[in-house]
Amino acid sequence: MLPLFDGIRALGLGAVAVKTLMACLCGTLIGLERSSKNRPAGFRTHTLVCLAAALAALTSLYIFLEMKLPSDISRIGGQVISGLGFIGAGTIIITKRMTIKGLTTAAGLWTTGVIGLAIGSGYYELGLLGTALVLVAETWLARLGSTIQHTPEYGVEVLYNEKTSLDQVLRFCKDNRMSIVNLTIHTAEDVPQAEYIARVRLRGNLRQDALVARIQQMPGIMTAMGL
Amino acid sequence: MGAVLQRLRQFSFLSALLRLLLAMLSGGVVGFGRSQKARAAGFRTYMLISIGAAMAVLLTQYQYAMLTGPWADVVEAVGMKFDASRLASSVITGIGFLGAGIIMKVAHQQVNGLTTSTGLFATMVMGLAAGAGFYEGVIMALILIVLLLNVMSPLEFAFKRRLRNITLNVEFNGVDDIARITRAIEKEGARVYDIDVERTERKDDRYPSAIFILQLARRNHSHSGMLSSVAELPCVHSVQELIS
Repeated sequence: MLPLFDGIRALGLGAVAVKTLMACLCGTLIGLERSSKNRPAGFRTHTLVCLAAALAALTSLYIFLEMKLPSDISRIGGQVISGLGFIGAGTIIITKRMTIKGLTTAAGLWTTGVIGLAIGSGYYELGLLGTALVLVAETWLARLGSTIQHTPEYGVEVLYNEKTSLDQVLRFCKDNRMSIVNLTIHTAEDVPQAEYIARVRLRGNLRQDALVARIQQMPGIMTAMGL
Repeated sequence: MGAVLQRLRQFSFLSALLRLLLAMLSGGVVGFGRSQKARAAGFRTYMLISIGAAMAVLLTQYQYAMLTGPWADVVEAVGMKFDASRLASSVITGIGFLGAGIIMKVAHQQVNGLTTSTGLFATMVMGLAAGAGFYEGVIMALILIVLLLNVMSPLEFAFKRRLRNITLNVEFNGVDDIARITRAIEKEGARVYDIDVERTERKDDRYPSAIFILQLARRNHSHSGMLSSVAELPCVHSVQELIS
């Protein structure tokens, strides 16, 4: 630990002022980055969480160091950590298309709370290092994250008459190391030429148009198209 | 080497910095592999949670250092009442809640997001180990978690494709067709051991439907073959295999 902060690690007007202001500053820094991406929790939310956590830590120090009551100085902080888990769960949204939004915000809010606790407890080094790492993770590492190539997943619709026609399509997919994520077979009611419509969701490295073109040429296949 | 490790296990500014970086890096590695599948939690999420967990354990060590150092006189007067596992235990409940938020019920009695939330949970515990300076634990956890989440996932997928037990969601004309469908499935040598009717009549432009849980005649019996056989029935509008 650095001797620089030794005078302001506990209580007293100076320490309380430095702790609360520094908590606000760190919360604002993390929050501004989120605000700039127009996420639900902006810089006021993050600042409030960081400040509240710092105050919780300060209060437990006050109970122990000033009031001299027997207490565990980590108990209140612990509840802040689990309580913020609740708030975080509330910021997570499940969209109609069954995707999740807000998970990074929830995780960031939770980590901001831990930063607030560190600052409120007087462990400034940890609070500042934590803020720096969170900012690094959310800014330039985020860019690295968006360059990750996903294994493509797509759907193909096949119209056919005979059961065996579908079998050869599936065998072809398997031979080309495409994994079948989902298969639905519909009876083709509105299509006079075909008996069945199969919708296949696939994952793998074969390109969609190449696969569709190949299926199109197979015997017994009426039509194939990408979804 | 041993002396360096011994120093890094001690609580100091340098070891705290190293542990935070280790937490960030190990969380990032787990998250990187997961992100390749376009999952909800990107690798930032994993890093943030890992950093937060490590911070909580470091904070505990700081508090203990203060209680045994500058605040020792108060401890002597009031008595020591400190639990070094308290903050870490709250991290576990807190991330448990967060994980519950991303588990979603999708249609047909299926649940999504379970692997993501357990992956986050394991990453958080790895972060706790990093914060404590339990470096062997972090390394083993990192290897095994990455192995389980990334390498094992195609294996599990392939395994599920060969299972004897399959779940089908079938749309048909009316409840009477359930018996017909069951007969057709049994004709293929499979055994139906659960039928769960979702809709009994046509509503909102959707056909009556039911979920059939069945056991195929033998292992490696083609799943798509069974789907085709069910689809062949004139009363069936659609059939879909449900994979959890």
